[in-house]
Amino acid sequence: MAKKQLLLLVSLMLVLGVFLAACTGKDKDGDKGKGEGNIDPGKESGEEKDGELSFPLDVSNKDKAIEDGELTYALVSDDPFEGTLNKVFYSGNPDYEVMKFFDESLFSYDADYLITNDGAATFEISEDNKTIDIKIKDGVKWHDGEPVKASDLLYAYELLGHPDYTGDRYSFMIENVEGMPAYHKGETKEISGIKVSEDDKEISITYKVATPSLLSGIWDSPVPRHYLGDMTIEEIMSSEKIRTKPIGFGPYKVSKVVPGESVLYERYDDYWRGKPALKSLVLKVVSNASILETMKKGEVDIASLPTDQYENAKKLDNAELLGKVDLAYTYIGFKMGKWDAENKVNVMDPNSKLADKRVRQAMWHAIDNETVGKELYHGLRFAATTHFVPVHESFFDAKNPGRPFDPEKAKALLDEAGYVDVDGDGFREDANGKEFVLNFASRPEGDIGEPLAQFYIQNWADVGIKVQLKDGRLVEFNAFYDLLENDDPGVDIYQGGWGVGSDPDPEGIHGRTAAFNFPRWTNDKNDELLAAGTSEKAFDLKYRVDIYKQWQELMIDEVPLAPTLYRYELFGVNKRVVNYSIDQGSDLYLYQMGVSK
Amino acid sequence: MIKFIVRRILVMIPQLLLLSLIIFVVAKAMPGDAVTGAFMGNPDVTPERIEEIKEKFGLNDPWYEQYGRWIGKAVQGDLGMSYAHKQKVTSLLAGRVSNTVLLAFFTLVVTYLIAIPLGIIAGRWTDTWADKAIVTYNYFSFATPIFVFALLMLFLFSFVLGWFPSGGSVDIRITEGSWEYVVSKARHLFLPVMSGALLLTYSTIQYLRNDIIDTKLKDFVKTARAKGVPEGKVYTRHILRNSLLPIAAFLGYEITGLIGGSIFIESIFSYPGLGQLFLQSIGTRDFTVVTALVMISGIAVIIGTMLSDIILSIVDPRIRVE
Repeated sequence: MAKKQLLLLVSLMLVLGVFLAACTGKDKDGDKGKGEGNIDPGKESGEEKDGELSFPLDVSNKDKAIEDGELTYALVSDDPFEGTLNKVFYSGNPDYEVMKFFDESLFSYDADYLITNDGAATFEISEDNKTIDIKIKDGVKWHDGEPVKASDLLYAYELLGHPDYTGDRYSFMIENVEGMPAYHKGETKEISGIKVSEDDKEISITYKVATPSLLSGIWDSPVPRHYLGDMTIEEIMSSEKIRTKPIGFGPYKVSKVVPGESVLYERYDDYWRGKPALKSLVLKVVSNASILETMKKGEVDIASLPTDQYENAKKLDNAELLGKVDLAYTYIGFKMGKWDAENKVNVMDPNSKLADKRVRQAMWHAIDNETVGKELYHGLRFAATTHFVPVHESFFDAKNPGRPFDPEKAKALLDEAGYVDVDGDGFREDANGKEFVLNFASRPEGDIGEPLAQFYIQNWADVGIKVQLKDGRLVEFNAFYDLLENDDPGVDIYQGGWGVGSDPDPEGIHGRTAAFNFPRWTNDKNDELLAAGTSEKAFDLKYRVDIYKQWQELMIDEVPLAPTLYRYELFGVNKRVVNYSIDQGSDLYLYQMGVSK
Repeated sequence: MIKFIVRRILVMIPQLLLLSLIIFVVAKAMPGDAVTGAFMGNPDVTPERIEEIKEKFGLNDPWYEQYGRWIGKAVQGDLGMSYAHKQKVTSLLAGRVSNTVLLAFFTLVVTYLIAIPLGIIAGRWTDTWADKAIVTYNYFSFATPIFVFALLMLFLFSFVLGWFPSGGSVDIRITEGSWEYVVSKARHLFLPVMSGALLLTYSTIQYLRNDIIDTKLKDFVKTARAKGVPEGKVYTRHILRNSLLPIAAFLGYEITGLIGGSIFIESIFSYPGLGQLFLQSIGTRDFTVVTALVMISGIAVIIGTMLSDIILSIVDPRIRVE
C-alpha cells in the first residue's frame, strides 16, 4: 500500500506541477513590463473596438472617506511574495505589489507613460536632450524622517551599475548614462555622468545617446543611503532592512511583515502629498482558488481577479469590477531564421518555410480571434489589430484594422502565392508542389491552452494549411523558451506573449540585434523606422507618433508575427472603497484611497 | 544499540551523496535556468548582460564542475544563493521551515489521535456497524485526492460556515507573544492540519485493524483468555502491544507522506512553508532552492526510515540486525 501511496503521490505531483508551472508561465508573461516595473499599466481605450465589454476605471462610490478607516488588499497569487522589498533588488511582480504602498518613485506618469512634474520631483531636459536635471521637492521625507536626497537617487544608480549587482535592472537606460560602463566594469569609483548639487536636492544625469526613451524609461526610484549605505550588496539583499523593515517615502509605512504572507502598513503622517486617508492597511496573499469567496465575504477590499473566474466575479454583489487593457498582447510568431550568437544579430533564411509574406498574411487572416476572445475568455480578451497595444494611446494606430478574420482572403493569398492542393488530400502543398506541414509550439495556459491551440489549428485547416502541435502536445514554459531561443528546427510557428513595457520603443523585441526577436525577422525599413523612433527628433511627440504609425503599417504588411489578442486586467473592489482608480492618468493618488464605512 | 544507530548513519552518507548527485543532474537537465527565465521577454536587457550574470553564477560551466562547487559548499552548510529570492538558501529555508514543521507535527499527532482509536475499535468489534463505518471512511480517505479534499474543507469550514480563516498562518494585526496570537496561529493551522490528517489515517487504521484481527486468533491470546484474563486486559496487555508494532514502524513513512502532502496543503491554504516554496522554485528554475529542498526531504525520508528501524528494534528485539 505504501508503494501505491507513493505512486499516487508522484503522479499527482506531476500533474499539479505541470499545471502550476503553466500558471507561473502565464504570470510571467503578463508581468513583464520594462525592467523598472515602477509604472502601473494604465489607461484603457479598448472598449470601443471591442464593442461589448467595458469596465469603469474608477470606483463608483462617491461618499466621503471615514476617518481612520482600515482596508485589506489582496495580493492574488498561488506563491508567497518573495519579500525582497527594494526596487533595485526585487524580482517578482508580487514584491512590486507590496512595495507600491510604501515606496514611490520620484516622478508621476501621464496616460502615455511619460514623466510629469506632478510627482515628488520636477525635471528639466537640456537643449541637446542628453541631460536631465531632477529637483526633489521640499518636504519629501523617508519614513524615518530623513529628507529624500539627490544622493539617494545617485545611490540607486551606484547599486544598479555595481559589478556585484546581479539583478535584471542594469538595462539600456542605465548603461546609457555617461561613465556607467566604466563604473560597471569596476574601472572607476564614480559615475562621471551623474552630478549631485551642493544642497543635495538636485541631480543631473547625462546620457551618451539622446533618446525619447528617457521620458518613460528613466530610473527614478531613490534608495535610502543613510539606511542601507554601510552594507555590501550581498548584505543588503539578505538584510532585514529590505525584507521586514523596509522604508520608503510613500503614503504608508511598513509596520510589520509576516514573510511571504501578509504586510501591515500604517499611515505615514508626514507623507509629502498630505495625510493619507486610511489609518492602516493590510496586504495579504490570497490564492487564485479562494479569492472570489474571500471577496464575497468582504474579507478583502481590493483584488486583481483571475480572468478565468470572470463569470462568477460578475455575480459579486458587494463589489464592483474595474478593468483596463494590459500592457501585453499574445501573438502567433513565424520562425524565419537564426540568431547568430557570434555577431549578435538575427539572420533571416530566405528559404525558410515561411519566407513568403503572403503565407504569413494568410495565416493571420485565417484565425478567428474574435470568437476566441468571446468563447474562451468571456470577452476579456479581444482581437488584436496592430503590433502596439491600445494602452499606448498616442502611438497605437486605432484606425488601422490590421488583418481581420477573413478565410476567403486567406485562401486567395495562398492561391496567389502558389500554395495549392496538388494531391487532393484537402491540404495545400507549397509553391513547389511539396508537402507543406507546419509545427506549432504552444504553451499550456490553465484549461485554455489545449482548446485554443486546437482552435487555431482548425482555423488553418479550414483554409488548407496543415498545422500540427510540436510532438503532438503543448510545451511547458521553460522548455518553450528554450526551443525559441535556440531556434529549434522543429518549430515553425509558435504562440507567444509579450509584455510590451511602458516605453513604446519596440526595438527590444523586433530589432535586428534583439535576442528576443524570436521570429528572427529582419528588414531594412524596420531598422530605419526603429532608429527614427528613438532618434533625437523623436522627442517631438508628433514625429514619433507618425514614425510608429508607419512602423505598424510595415509590420501588418510583413507579419513577422501576427498579434492575436489584447487583454483586460480585472479588479474586484468592495463597494465601500472610495477615491480609488486604476487609471494611469487619473488625478486620484493612492494616499486618497479610503473606505466609506 | 548504539552500534546499530551508528551503522545506519554511516550507510546514510553514500545514500545522500548519490541522492544529491541524481537530484543535481536531473535539475540541470530541466530546460531553462533561473537567470534566463527571469529575463525572458524583458527587452531592456541585452544578451550580453544575461551572459554576464550566468557567468557570475557559474551557470555556463559543465555540470560536474557546478556539482563539485555546490557539494563542496553544501557540506559546510552553505547551500548557495537563491536567484529568485536574492538571499541565501539557508536563511530562506530557515524562514519557512518552522511553518512546515509545525504543520507536519500537528498533522501527525492528529492523524494518530484519530487513527489509533478508530483502528482499535474496528479491529476489536469486527463486522459491527462501527467497524463498517470506519472501513467506509477509510476507503473514502484513501480514494480522495488531497487537493480536492482540502478545497472542500476550505469551502465548507471557511467560506460557508466561516469558522476558520481561509489562508495564511496568523492574523497580522495581532501582536506577537500574546495569548491571542497563539489562538490565531492555532485557528490558522486547524484546517490545513485536518485536511492532511483526515486523509492520512487510512494506512494506520487499516494496518491496525488487520493486525488486531490477526492477533486476536493467535494462540497466546487464546491462552490468556483461557486463563481468565478480563477481555479489556487481553486487548491492552496482549493484543495491542503486538499490533501497535507495525504502526511504530510506519512512522518514518508517514513523515515521507507528510512532506508530499504539504505541497498541496500549503498552496491551497496560502500557508508559506517549504512545500509552497518547492513548487514556486521549480517554476522559476531556482535550482539552488530546488536541490536544497529535495535534499532535505531526502534526508527526512532517510531519517524517518531509520527512526522506524530504531523504534522497531527497541520494541521488537528479534529485528535487531547484528
